[in-house]
Amino acid sequence: MESFIVRYRNLLVLLVLLAVQIVGLAVQVHRSGSGQMSLDPRDSGGVRLIRLWANALVSPPEQLIHSSRNGIVGVWQNYIDLRHVRRQNKDLTQTIDRLRLEQAALLEDARQGERLQALLHFQEKYIYKTLAAEVIGSSGSQQSHVVYIDKGEDDGLHRDMAVITPDGIVGKIREVYPHTAQVLMINDQTSGAGVILETTRIRGILRGNANGQPEVVGILSDNRIQPGEHVLTAGGDLIFPRGLPVGTVEKVVQDPDRDAFIDIILKPAARLNSLDEVLVITSTEPHFPPDEKQDMAESRAVDGAVVAAAQAEKKASEVQEERLPSLMVPNLPPDQQPLNDSTPPNPIAKQPPQPLHPDQFSPSTFTGSEPAAPQTAPQTAAPQPKAKKPKPKTGPSAASTANPPRRNP
Amino acid sequence: MSVLTANTRRDLEIQRFPLLLYALVPLVSLVLQAWLPRVLGRYAFFDLPLIVTVYFALGRRSPIQGTVMGVVLGIFEDALTHHAIGINGIAKTVVGFLAASTGVRIDVENRAIRILLIFLLSLVSSAVYIFVYRVLLGLNLDTNWLAELYKALGNSAIAAVFFPLLDRFQVRD
Repeated sequence: MESFIVRYRNLLVLLVLLAVQIVGLAVQVHRSGSGQMSLDPRDSGGVRLIRLWANALVSPPEQLIHSSRNGIVGVWQNYIDLRHVRRQNKDLTQTIDRLRLEQAALLEDARQGERLQALLHFQEKYIYKTLAAEVIGSSGSQQSHVVYIDKGEDDGLHRDMAVITPDGIVGKIREVYPHTAQVLMINDQTSGAGVILETTRIRGILRGNANGQPEVVGILSDNRIQPGEHVLTAGGDLIFPRGLPVGTVEKVVQDPDRDAFIDIILKPAARLNSLDEVLVITSTEPHFPPDEKQDMAESRAVDGAVVAAAQAEKKASEVQEERLPSLMVPNLPPDQQPLNDSTPPNPIAKQPPQPLHPDQFSPSTFTGSEPAAPQTAPQTAAPQPKAKKPKPKTGPSAASTANPPRRNP
Repeated sequence: MSVLTANTRRDLEIQRFPLLLYALVPLVSLVLQAWLPRVLGRYAFFDLPLIVTVYFALGRRSPIQGTVMGVVLGIFEDALTHHAIGINGIAKTVVGFLAASTGVRIDVENRAIRILLIFLLSLVSSAVYIFVYRVLLGLNLDTNWLAELYKALGNSAIAAVFFPLLDRFQVRD
């Protein structure tokens, strides 16, 4: 027995080590509800410990190399490139001026968007709180597209937070360590995100392929999909906010497994192969800089004053409307409403009323033929055929003629 | 044929290195493997821990030491990915064992043989990795064999420079 062990010790060691690793692998996978095998997204305690050790071993030298490289690049840029700094400063000043104008326009759009959002009771937000982080390393494997960033649990990061750049989305945080975090990129085969094509509004699932390119899978053949079309996040995966750029359609290929379906190969908007700095979305609550907050508060105050004035005016008009006689009588049927009645409301008004004390200016005497008889009851008096409608008198002349001298008949 | 048989005393010598080198070189290979793809992007077709495993397995001519070296480096590589821990471990275990077993039988001082060996063992490592991933674990993984071929070529090119460099650190009696 001893000679057997000694003779085959190399092979035995190999088999033991292989068996241990296979058992270790077996506890890391599980069968899903659909019968397919999948890796447990959350590592068990032992596996996490091994990852933590590996991270603790590799990350500090990586950060050292990264900071050294940044230092060298910084010295180069700060010293050698100073020759062009004046010209760059001038260009940048012009750019800032232009950006200020654009920012003002965008801020107005944001205000309008916020108002519309409140109006429609949308729960989704368009501005987020982010944390900048630097990429310090990768997995080093072609089959695993993950990168490591220099922010971790101590900086408030958690699993499943979205990672983006100003150009487009990058991935999501898969594992968090005290000072670093592992980011699963969108071009990995195990990643997944809901996306939508900007023009055709076709929805699909984003994942990576064997070549490390992001692709949209599970789409029925559609001739409208053309290269160059923009692809955005759909917002349904509860990780990536809606409307963030994902990439552009590079080409459309037939799904190798299903005839009626196609796969859309994308050119990612973010430079996934050469990432330096990324932003981690740490909150989906709206977040504005202080000056913009103040600006928006003023805008709200102005808007509130305008709305209050409009409401006060409306209320006043309603009160006025109640005081005025209505043309609509609630007790009458519609065909007998005064508004629909063509007969004059006051028949006497067919003829102008006779003056109480006629004088030379009275309509009946204005013709100059003969003076009219004095009237005491104009409502009952017979109409005068030649009577003219009295002209209204205004101003001082009217006051002077309010009590004209009585004429002797 | 003489280059393929370890029939001289020198061929059968076990290469010895400073103890620090056994710890430092694997660590540096892991760090560079994790960092260089950031700089090189999609053109990072190499596997430095595999090169280190093969080098020490060939030099030590001990299948057990080669196997253990493969296990350790493979598991640390796995720990840096998001895949299950042990896939690379099994691949590197097999590679370390094969390299050490081969090193007993052939003249590993020959540069061409070493480069050819590293090329073949790279392909073996990729094949074992994909076998474990797809067959043993039953997981879906699309494979780009062209990329694996490029990686084998890249490993060979790096080994052509790296092996003579490490040979300088050998402790000779």
